[in-house]
Amino acid sequence: MTALQILIDGFAISALYALAAVGFTLIFGVSGVLNLSHGGIMLVAALIGWWAAGDLGLGVYGGTLVGIVAGLLTAYLTYFVVVRPIQRSRKIPREETEIFVLTGTLLFGIMIQGGMAALFSDNPVTMRPLIRGVVNIFGVNTPKNEIMIAVVCWVVIGLLWLLINRTRAGKSMLAASINPRGLTLLGFELSRIYFLVWTIYGTLAGIAGVLLASFLGVSTANAGQLTASAFSIVVLGGLGSVSGSLLAAFVVGYLETITAYVNPELRPIPALLLLVLVVCLRPQGLLGRR
Amino acid sequence: MIVSKQTPARLARWIAPRAVALTAALSLTSAAAIPAAEPIKIGVIGEESSVAGASITKAAQMAADDINAHGGVNGRQVQIITYDDHSSASDAVRAFQRAVTEDKVSAVIASYISEVALAIEPWSARMKMPFITPGAASTDISKHVHDDYATNKYTFHGWLTSAFIAQSICDFEHDTIVKDLHAKTTVVMSEDAAWTTPLDAQYLECLPKAGLKVLDHIRFNPDTTDFTPIFNKIEGEHPDVITTGISHVGVQPTVQWHDQRVPIAMAGQSSQATTSTFWKDTNGDAEGVITASAAAPGVAITPGTVPFTDAYIKKFGSSPAYDGYTTYDDVHIIADAIKRAGSTDPDKMVTEMEKTDYVGTIGRVQFYGQSDQYTHALKYGPGLVTGVDIQWQNGKQVTIWPRDKANGKITFPAAIKSPH
Amino acid sequence: MTRLLRSRLVWIAALVVLVAAFLPLWLSAYMLGVLTVAYYFGVFSMSWDLLFGFAGEVNFGPTFLIGLGAYTAAILNNQFSLPIPVCVVAGALAALVGGLLLAMPALRLRGPYFGLVTLVAVLLLQNAIVIFAKYTGGEIGMTVPSVLSIDPRVNYWYALIFMVISAIILFGLSRSAIGLILQASGQDAIEAAALGFNVTKHKLAAFSISAVFSGIAGALLVLYMGTASVGTVIDIAIGVQIIIAAVLGGRRTILGGALGAIFLICANELLRPLGQLNTFVVSAVALAVILFFPDGLLGHVLRGGERE
Repeated sequence: MTALQILIDGFAISALYALAAVGFTLIFGVSGVLNLSHGGIMLVAALIGWWAAGDLGLGVYGGTLVGIVAGLLTAYLTYFVVVRPIQRSRKIPREETEIFVLTGTLLFGIMIQGGMAALFSDNPVTMRPLIRGVVNIFGVNTPKNEIMIAVVCWVVIGLLWLLINRTRAGKSMLAASINPRGLTLLGFELSRIYFLVWTIYGTLAGIAGVLLASFLGVSTANAGQLTASAFSIVVLGGLGSVSGSLLAAFVVGYLETITAYVNPELRPIPALLLLVLVVCLRPQGLLGRR
Repeated sequence: MIVSKQTPARLARWIAPRAVALTAALSLTSAAAIPAAEPIKIGVIGEESSVAGASITKAAQMAADDINAHGGVNGRQVQIITYDDHSSASDAVRAFQRAVTEDKVSAVIASYISEVALAIEPWSARMKMPFITPGAASTDISKHVHDDYATNKYTFHGWLTSAFIAQSICDFEHDTIVKDLHAKTTVVMSEDAAWTTPLDAQYLECLPKAGLKVLDHIRFNPDTTDFTPIFNKIEGEHPDVITTGISHVGVQPTVQWHDQRVPIAMAGQSSQATTSTFWKDTNGDAEGVITASAAAPGVAITPGTVPFTDAYIKKFGSSPAYDGYTTYDDVHIIADAIKRAGSTDPDKMVTEMEKTDYVGTIGRVQFYGQSDQYTHALKYGPGLVTGVDIQWQNGKQVTIWPRDKANGKITFPAAIKSPH
Repeated sequence: MTRLLRSRLVWIAALVVLVAAFLPLWLSAYMLGVLTVAYYFGVFSMSWDLLFGFAGEVNFGPTFLIGLGAYTAAILNNQFSLPIPVCVVAGALAALVGGLLLAMPALRLRGPYFGLVTLVAVLLLQNAIVIFAKYTGGEIGMTVPSVLSIDPRVNYWYALIFMVISAIILFGLSRSAIGLILQASGQDAIEAAALGFNVTKHKLAAFSISAVFSGIAGALLVLYMGTASVGTVIDIAIGVQIIIAAVLGGRRTILGGALGAIFLICANELLRPLGQLNTFVVSAVALAVILFFPDGLLGHVLRGGERE
């Protein structure tokens, strides 16, 4: 009985972690950006979605859509205001770009957090579930919404895989992550590819943010935690590897769930310890390439 | 300066009229500079991005306006100077320092966060500035006053400590859930935080005396966002009621409790559930949730409660958080202490504040003394301050305890199996 | 040219310190209090810059070392009533151990991987403090009974003297042979090793020094504040402030770290009347500086001469 509960709970939360992490790893893999305003983007999607659903009266589905769009717009803002200027700046030496993008997105994330807190206060909010009701799986009461979230996560990840591996645009993104210069020589416009990546990233983060709000709830106070969580999972799985992030998300999700059943006080500890272990023993992550 | 070659007599004739004129001018300006009545300044430190923290500064301003409308304190107006500490203890300390040395306040009302109140306490001692917290819960605040009275006597605790919050919840559960609904068992579920340590200790002691057997005591990591494992565990133990101690979380567990159709009622302390926006934040999943609070809309704990609540709603559009009530009272308490002391001398103010016997909006306010364990904490008990317990019903906070103040009965949504 | 600038920098720095020493004659206790905290943050940032700017290690968790120093001192003082100097030394030692612990993975990992380990270290420490609340006071913090001084001016001078000494040592190190080797191994470890330098030994040295200064500064900070809590010395938000201060001031300048920290904290206080939005404004300003003056406040002044 408990085992089944753990199986189901862990699945839902892992799927959510996976969705949140996949975008993060994609943007790093293709454009080399460690976007520390990731949590902020998800926060915007969640809060605007909640506000649109409730205060603007658009209902759950309308609110969700508005939230995703808000997340996408914030991602664009991050790219055009912070990341692109730094990457193109002539004043910053090439090998330092990474730390500047890091600091820049960090500051931008703080600005987002502060701005949202001023607009919405730091009360946690939740999105109304997309499907109401409970379903009984072999004696375990599971909210239908939880199942739906897991399904949506997998569908989105599946679509992403199709996009990257089966479409021309996706393949050019893959190529850009391996050899940007070679790609330009072949006549591809890098800026178009980067725009595409950020579009996909923004959408992913937006969906993740809205679903997070629906299942767990968000508040401006834990935006930083969201980024740290995604960052940890992505490094565990291997920076730049989408399948690695998926694997890591499930490892962390299940580890946390099992710990919560055994001793709720220590919920995040085993996952953190595992992280340290893996990074020390296998620095490139579970499925990363060196 | 050129030394004058003039004779001393001529020098004197040169200086004298100018000296007279200068002295006259100086005395006139300084006479004009003595204000008719200098305002009494009270520093108020809140957290504007938090619903509870924002209530502090708003309620303080309302209290000052009311006092000034009735003539002020001994003819002096009360002036509120507000600061936002961004929920950061170090920020709050700097705000406190600014209030004392730059803005020259006579007292400080600060924060509902225990960490912030505890960080300010040593500074109130160092700078000898009377300080009261309208909302923190930690028992350490008043314990420090007891342990080192001479140094820490300037600190007052304007809300019930965790130990008394737990006692009030035990009393509530005894009067309603045990007596009326014949509940027999409970599970204590609280966040693993320092403020819940004395709370839980008191729960474990007073719940059995109230008639509830404690089947389990679950403390979860405060960063928990997924409560499904915890609720599953509790369901497996089949208690009649869940007694909570949560503040850092509130919306999330409530929403998940609803979505999962956990068939057990939740009562106890859920700080987020006391705010007026809780219904909206949970999209109505709060139906049936019970929590202890300081006051609730529409309930006249004292003759002053409802007028204050109505005036606050009229001015700000939402009802005050629990610390709005206590802040409103604290401003009056400070003003009265200054009035009785006849000065803003800190030691005299402290002596007068200790003698406080004030009927405010949350009850009759008195503070424990030097010989009590929790010196300068709010006295708990019927006839003094007990807080209220409210239940969310159809988007409204219905008061269900104490009996004589209740304006509704406990009802549970269909999903919850009412105990026996 | 560098030598000329350096000596000019030294003279300007000396002048600034002299002025700072006399500020207590004019400033209120509040402003002295703000500067006291700013000076300790200055040491935090300078220590961070030594590690990052020179050893090339991106440290997301400077508060791991600071927290170790601060809490060791706090616990010893609160539970065992040990005298202040003992607590500070113990704090430094605890931080040193922590620094060596962090150094171990650092030797094998680069970039974001090492950064993650530092981040996790902070999270683990934070969780440990909350779980062992009986000894540490948990998230609401613990009181530190002995304080450095009740006089704001004495506290200010303690902080100033400590910052100046730290600055001299750290800056001197950065310009010494050790510093250059660190810089070389930071930018290209393989080449540095090929040139015969013991990269490991120098990185360990960098971690140790950064740790000791962070630990002492952390201990002194809580002995000044009178309380130690997660929110004041361990939270990731504090680490973020330190990193931003160092980058804002100018990385690889050491002194820039102090400048950046003082600027950030004073700017936050200056904008206090803005209430809720002052963090937003300060972050926006910091972002603008990073975008338009990537070398930071001090770096821009120094390098402007070199580039052209």
